[in-house]
Amino acid sequence: MTRRLYLSIGFISSSIIGFQLALMHILSYIQWSHFAWMVISVALLGFGASGTILALAGRWMVRKIDTVLPLIMIACGVTMSSVLPFAERVFGTFDSYLVFIDSKELYSLLLTYFSLFVVFFLGALAIGLIYVAYVQKIGSLYFADLLGSGLGGLASLGLFWAFYPAKLPAVMGLLPIVAAALILPQKKIRPMAAITIASLAAPLLLLLYPPDLKISEYKGLARALDLPGAEVRLERTSPYGHIEVVTADALRYAPGLSMSFTGDIPVNDVVFCNGDWYGPVVSWSAADTSHFLDYTTNALPYIITIPETTMILEAGTGLNVSHAVTRGATSVTAVEHNRLVTDLLKNELAPDTDSLFHHKAVTVKNLHSRSYLLADTATYDLIVLPTIETFGGTSGIHALKEQYLLTREAFLNMWERLSDRGMISVTVWTEEPPRNILKLLGTLTETLQEIGVEDRSRHLMAVRGWGTVTFVVTREALTDYQAENIREFCSAMYFDPLYLPGKDDEERMSYNILTDSYLFELADRIAAGGESAEEVYRDYDFNIRPATDNRPYFSQFLKLSRLTRLSDIYGSKSIPFLEVGYLIVGITFIQITVAAIILIIVPLFFIGWRGGYRGYTVLHFSGLGIGFMFVEIVLIQRLVLYFGSPIYAAAAVLSAMLICSGAGSWYSSRMKGGFRDIVRVTGLIMVIIILYGLFLTPLLLSTISLPFLVKIAFSMVIIAPMAFFMGMPFPLGLKSLSEHNRSLVPWAWGINGCLSVISTALALIIAVEAGFLWVMALAAVAYGITMVANIWKAA
Amino acid sequence: MKIVIQREKIAVMAALLLICFSATAQDFSLLRERMVRDQIEARGITHEPTLNAVRSVERHLFVPPERRNMAYDDGPLPIGHGQTISQPLIVAYMTELVNPEPHHTVLEIGTGSGYQAAILAEIVERVFTIEIIPELGNSARELIDDLGYENIEVKIADGYYGWEEHGPFDAIVVTAAAENIPPPLVRQLKDGGRMVIPVGSPFMVQTLMLVERRGDRVLTQSLMPVNFVPFTRGGR
Repeated sequence: MTRRLYLSIGFISSSIIGFQLALMHILSYIQWSHFAWMVISVALLGFGASGTILALAGRWMVRKIDTVLPLIMIACGVTMSSVLPFAERVFGTFDSYLVFIDSKELYSLLLTYFSLFVVFFLGALAIGLIYVAYVQKIGSLYFADLLGSGLGGLASLGLFWAFYPAKLPAVMGLLPIVAAALILPQKKIRPMAAITIASLAAPLLLLLYPPDLKISEYKGLARALDLPGAEVRLERTSPYGHIEVVTADALRYAPGLSMSFTGDIPVNDVVFCNGDWYGPVVSWSAADTSHFLDYTTNALPYIITIPETTMILEAGTGLNVSHAVTRGATSVTAVEHNRLVTDLLKNELAPDTDSLFHHKAVTVKNLHSRSYLLADTATYDLIVLPTIETFGGTSGIHALKEQYLLTREAFLNMWERLSDRGMISVTVWTEEPPRNILKLLGTLTETLQEIGVEDRSRHLMAVRGWGTVTFVVTREALTDYQAENIREFCSAMYFDPLYLPGKDDEERMSYNILTDSYLFELADRIAAGGESAEEVYRDYDFNIRPATDNRPYFSQFLKLSRLTRLSDIYGSKSIPFLEVGYLIVGITFIQITVAAIILIIVPLFFIGWRGGYRGYTVLHFSGLGIGFMFVEIVLIQRLVLYFGSPIYAAAAVLSAMLICSGAGSWYSSRMKGGFRDIVRVTGLIMVIIILYGLFLTPLLLSTISLPFLVKIAFSMVIIAPMAFFMGMPFPLGLKSLSEHNRSLVPWAWGINGCLSVISTALALIIAVEAGFLWVMALAAVAYGITMVANIWKAA
Repeated sequence: MKIVIQREKIAVMAALLLICFSATAQDFSLLRERMVRDQIEARGITHEPTLNAVRSVERHLFVPPERRNMAYDDGPLPIGHGQTISQPLIVAYMTELVNPEPHHTVLEIGTGSGYQAAILAEIVERVFTIEIIPELGNSARELIDDLGYENIEVKIADGYYGWEEHGPFDAIVVTAAAENIPPPLVRQLKDGGRMVIPVGSPFMVQTLMLVERRGDRVLTQSLMPVNFVPFTRGGR
């Protein structure tokens, strides 16, 4: 029985983590990805709720565990497989894009929360019930739980290659049923076996007949497919996202094209990733002598000089690559993290692009651009970044995306990779009120200041069109002749110089008029640097201070301290439409916290407010919930940058961490397990966290250019000791608690679950507001709280 | 006898329906008046022909039946296929910006439900409107015909090419903006003509952009961001 129980807990844990990943994948595909995150965060409170229910009905459930446990697992498997089609049928099609304009959508959102919550609740209830019933074996049970989660995360990546998103929940739903089959009671074996076999019908049917994933009509893919004659000509699925290539007669792409362009904009097929626009399939030919980007502000670096060696960062579908080749570059290094997209361009889509990615000048590197920059040693005449933001602005929906390519340190790395006549070029869509332009200008100015460039006006220039601004940073000082060429280019293209030696205010608005000139005033003050820039950063209503590696949130513009003022200026209802991304995290955090407090308090009405170990339980398990998640989030962030492949790195790190923590938990089962042991372990963890906070980043940066396998081994060596010790306090705490007041064990499970969920949102808020170093520091403080609780009890 | 009773019943029901309908129509009229006063005039739209047009066009008829009760709210509304009927303020602001006059010929790209075309048709001589999604274009055409607008012509086609045989136009109103401004549209704008384009998602902040042809030059002007609620730049 015991061995089967371990296997069973491993299966159900792996199904929960697999389901969570699948859900993220699916919801990001059919809805707005921020809402996917919010919905799942709230649904994860099922973990907290399971503790509440166990605190209330745990005794009865433990008595009937032989029957109840497999039934809960079966219910979990059935709901896991069928929750999405069920929710769609019953609640209609919820559309996250309409939440702010139609209150009816809020009810649908609540019902969506609830239906997903049930799945996590049932899964957590099964695990929690096992812990409560077999608390003496908590060390090895927790090991099986974490091992299952770790392996589940890794296995999910394989499943993402093999199954289309709609089938994933059904695949995951099979696992809890297998978990139940492993522990069927001998006494009632026939009816229970019948129920188990019957329950397989739900996942199997949904595997054979997967539901249609109806994507929001406001997503780019849905809108493209609405065009006459539009169809998906190619479809691939992978952990990088669900890729679809759409063809339609009316799909054209020419971003920020000059009004002086009189030719025809060619029709392109378009690549979508998770329903969002990823890039055009470039209609390009090796014989072309001109490119439509010549008629955009993106052409600015090519007006200054003719670069021979070019690096295109986040190359996407290769638009900037084709431009560089057309402009005569003899060597173009295209860095793109999405391997599936580059594979398509090298194979199935090669005929459409005249085999651009096989061109003799082009070399493709499948890595995150910043990681490649850190590891690379070559130099380039031109480094081109992807265009920042999208046409019309996205109202800060990327606010919480770590953008390691747009930090001050990233631009310093780029500068180091420039040849003597090298340039960095970056284009940004304009928006109102201006934010991206100003933050980018500030970042480039600070970069030049740090390098020690004295006459910055000769090394930084910018040109503004009707919709875009392109900035170019040059290693060599710009000559008067080059400045004159830029002026002629502007005049021919109906663009205006925004930053150019000898500019005057009048020529800044020759063709593209602004209602007032405050953009210029702010830009000049930022470009002046020093105190002048500092004043703008401080006084402007939006956060335009340059991003750093410690706070890599370039698109986060909301200043929490200015919410009231923004509300006065724009009206309170406008704020969500200005800076919605960060607000969603705030809203999620509030929702989770309120719900978690309720879930933690409710059991006290039944188990009583006073009595031994209640304070200890709260301090010990909330400290662990927060500390563990904070460390995990920071480690993932750092190692994603280290490996340059977000998905695999995240999976590897997460899995390694869970497995090592599991090993720690298993080892802890051999320890005596008193409060003093916990004090020693948490003290050790605090020391390790502080050491990691101080030395992890320099250690990783100094080894980033090592071969991939060596890096994997190195990261495991780094993760293993910390994760090993971090796996101990939870089972040790539960064990100690069970020895003194067993009735509090389910409550402790609930508190740990609630605080873990809260911590994901809280860690993001702290990282945005103060940086990752603070998240690490607070993780140490959280473990400190756990230590204090145990010192208190040990004394 | 039975038949008589049935007939009486039907008559009563019809009368009730009529009462309900007239009451609703009256409500809509009041709502429309309030919309013009609170959402449009209050935010600085002063162009009298535009205000009159917004007052007279029954916006609720251009909104899907299930959202008719929200027709005069201060926001955009979904009309299907990922498209929206713009917020009343945006429609009025765009109309005012192109400075329409009775003798003008106007091209609209993106008919949607037909509301913007109806507003323009109240002011100018001819409105040509192009919709790429057949379902939307056909239902807009039907509604426009039902409402008796003889000066609106609807075509289902790709707006990229404009409508050369009826150009050049005094004004062009583009209701769904893209990353590029199609060169054929710029060519079909009269010298001195104006083109207005809302930039940004209808559910977020939109900035209106005005394109003006002046001889060989084409000038653009970014105007204020507009949103659901009064959006001023005071205090900056």
